[in-house]
Amino acid sequence: MKHSLLASAAAAALLVAPAAKADDTAPPNRTIGYVVSGLYWAVYQTADGKAECPDGLNDGPREHFKALFPDNGTKRPVVDTQLKREAEGYFPTMTEEPFTFHLSQSKIAKGLNLDGKADDNDFVSPDGEKGIDNQLFRVLGCVRGYRAPDGDAYFFDNNTLITDRYDRWLFELTDVDSLVNDDDVTVTTYRGLDGLLKKADGNGMLAGGSQVIDVKWGGRYVAKIKGKIKDGVLTTEPTDVTFPWATFGVPTDREMRGMRMQVKVLPTGGTGLIAGYTDLENWYRQTLRSSSTHHQAYGQVSLPSVYRALRRAADGHPDPKTGENTTLSSALDVTLTQVHIIHPDRPVAQADEATKTAEAVKERAGARR
Amino acid sequence: MKFNVHRPLLGALLMGVALAGCSNESGKTEQAATAAPVPPAFELASSPARHRLMSASQYQNTISHIFGSDIAANAQFAPLQRTEGLLALGASTAGVPFGEMQKLQRAAALVAAQVVDDGNLDLGVPSHRDSLIPCKPADDKQADPACAKTFLGMTGRLLYRRPLSEARLTQMVDEAGKSAVELKDFYAGLASVIEGMLISPEVLMIHDRSEPDPERPGRRRLDAYSYAARLSFFLWNAAPDDRVLRAAESGELSTAKGRARVVDMMLASPRLEEGVRGFFDDMMAFDTFDNLAKDASAYPAETGAALTAAREQTLRTIYDHLIVKKGDYRDLFTTRSTFMSPELGPIYRVPTPKGWVKYDFPPDSPRVGILTHVSFLASHAHPGRSSATRRGKALRELLLCQPVPLPPPNVDFSALNDPTSPFKTARDRVSFHLQNPVCAGCHKITDPMGLALENFDGAGQYRATEMGTVIDPSGALDGKNFKDVVGLAESVRNHPALPSCLVRRVLSYGTGSAVEREDRPLVDYLTGHFAEKGYRYTDLLREIVLSPVFYDVTERAPEQKSAAATN
Repeated sequence: MKHSLLASAAAAALLVAPAAKADDTAPPNRTIGYVVSGLYWAVYQTADGKAECPDGLNDGPREHFKALFPDNGTKRPVVDTQLKREAEGYFPTMTEEPFTFHLSQSKIAKGLNLDGKADDNDFVSPDGEKGIDNQLFRVLGCVRGYRAPDGDAYFFDNNTLITDRYDRWLFELTDVDSLVNDDDVTVTTYRGLDGLLKKADGNGMLAGGSQVIDVKWGGRYVAKIKGKIKDGVLTTEPTDVTFPWATFGVPTDREMRGMRMQVKVLPTGGTGLIAGYTDLENWYRQTLRSSSTHHQAYGQVSLPSVYRALRRAADGHPDPKTGENTTLSSALDVTLTQVHIIHPDRPVAQADEATKTAEAVKERAGARR
Repeated sequence: MKFNVHRPLLGALLMGVALAGCSNESGKTEQAATAAPVPPAFELASSPARHRLMSASQYQNTISHIFGSDIAANAQFAPLQRTEGLLALGASTAGVPFGEMQKLQRAAALVAAQVVDDGNLDLGVPSHRDSLIPCKPADDKQADPACAKTFLGMTGRLLYRRPLSEARLTQMVDEAGKSAVELKDFYAGLASVIEGMLISPEVLMIHDRSEPDPERPGRRRLDAYSYAARLSFFLWNAAPDDRVLRAAESGELSTAKGRARVVDMMLASPRLEEGVRGFFDDMMAFDTFDNLAKDASAYPAETGAALTAAREQTLRTIYDHLIVKKGDYRDLFTTRSTFMSPELGPIYRVPTPKGWVKYDFPPDSPRVGILTHVSFLASHAHPGRSSATRRGKALRELLLCQPVPLPPPNVDFSALNDPTSPFKTARDRVSFHLQNPVCAGCHKITDPMGLALENFDGAGQYRATEMGTVIDPSGALDGKNFKDVVGLAESVRNHPALPSCLVRRVLSYGTGSAVEREDRPLVDYLTGHFAEKGYRYTDLLREIVLSPVFYDVTERAPEQKSAAATN
């Protein structure tokens, strides 16, 4: 790293920036980076769950196994019982089983209006916006493992995000003249290589860390997206993306088509939604690979049942040959933490902490008040 | 202590200082041990013979050098009392109480077990015995006196810092043999003796032994092995290695020329880094970090990892500036070059890739010199806010060797701690102090320079304002007024007490004895030479370790000896 080159590099960057257009909330060099530090499949929940799951939550592998193979003294070989159920997870079919899968009955869901329409299959957002598309929530809404705060998928997906480095998803906003209102910003996604920094009290992530872009293996995670910021909320145009995902240390990718963001952005981070059409087969295979049956049992995630529900609920990107939908509208609750994104092929920007950092910007604004 | 100087010759000594100044005006920079006549300040000074307890880092480094860096030596030493600015001086009066000895024995047993272990290839653990023990027993379930003698003689010489006597070695071999027979394991027998060595007072205590100085009748000097040990613990923060001990054995360390060769070898060694770090860690009072805690809600970026990195950052900066770049010591207080790690990035608000990387603060940055490092700023502050007083006091005491009196026991902090207090900035609070004559006496000597660091909060993070009020970082240091921290850095850099304080600390650290008022001519002489050499740290080290004050000793009175022994 050639830090020594930086003063001139930073100065040059400032010179080319249209300073007159930027406001007090503009980040240094009109650029701000964020790392995903929280990512949950968006599941709208009421306090007792009865509104969205009036018939209760779904059973999982343990309950299904007990129903299929009751402990009545019958001797059964492993290949016809445990291994059979394993195989049914790896080779799922649409053949029905004698179990009822409870879809979410909620009228409300978190998400975005992906298709620009408001029809009977859509939800209403918690804020009352109609036309919310989130069929993945319809499937997962009554599966214990995906519900907060103690669902195993809910917990472990994010725990892995924090403890592992594989699923380090970065968003770099450039051409930012204001973090409050800017009708033309560019968002570029990358995979990062570095750990997250926790706050000293262990609660939450620390802003101001650094992430080096994975330029060697991370090419497929790069996407350049146009966006705008209105009243502090960043929204982006739909773009197909691949992003890194790992659960229990199993590295895989997620495929999301027409991905768009709706995130409240601040100098230190952001919160909001990432929504788009999740590839059905990709989602299922990733989940299957990451979670062994005992993990699925913890969260009562019966994957053969979930698979059939996914197929039935799919609402996007019909297969040209079969006409069957291959994706599900979906949304992720996302938390972003501000980081310095380091491009290995460029000099590391040299921060002048007294005048140019996001913290200093915030502090100056505070001093004026 | 005071460095022993013959009073009747004090005038001559002072003359010597003056003469030295004259001779240096000629521009000659002779190496002390090789050419120039030794001035009286050197000739007359000596230091007391000491028994010093090895520090935890010296123990760790010694184990690492003798047995390898993969041998874990988690020895816990009791905290030393900081004396005259240094823990190293506290080591001269420290003993090893029973509870601590138990901990040291546990550590010794673990070290010994690792030294003789057979490894486990399945787990990727190498066999240490194969690489550390230079012989194989005829039967590894039986005693083998010849092999045991070879290994214990070699190892004992390094641990005891001198060859073992034949009687001692025979006794150790016998003990190893008895244990081997009893345990039916040759290596377990060796381990039991290694364990015993590692808790021997002669290993844990650095004992200065003296002998008559044949070149100066009536005076005593360290014997060659004690000189080797003093040199090595000072320059390498570890026991001497085989090369230094061989120089002692051969008599080379008993000659000026021989001492110079060995010292130059040691100063060129990579092990010098441990010595430099050990000294400055002590001088900067970085042991504070062992217990330093910050208010996590006030300073979320000040994690334990960040504090560890802050200490490391300054030590790296010091080593790089003084040894790698051979820089002027005073410039440590104005340099903008440092190192950065990811843990520190959020505090300095700097992009930082993985690992330690060199970093230069911009020329207009408020970060200038090591006083603006997080290590200094955070360790001399309150858990949840800055402290101009603590920072000013630390500057005075640690770097200028100017003790600040303790506050009186009946200080009334109620006005300052009042949650409805109208004071918004540290300057307001300090002004309140100065209105009280009881407080003002001391605060006048600490606060004016501490206020220049108020642009850094209690975590060492930059801030332009405090409670919405723009901070005024102006200040003063001994008649020099400045408008901000850059001015403070320049004033510290050019303060006449800065180099002389370093000389005092180095001299004390190396000899284990405090420098006192009577030693001023010696300090002045060394400081003068330090200046002539451009304030190069290695030149100062070289001058001191090759001077009589380092190898000539005065034995303590018998009653003092017994007092130290029972400590």
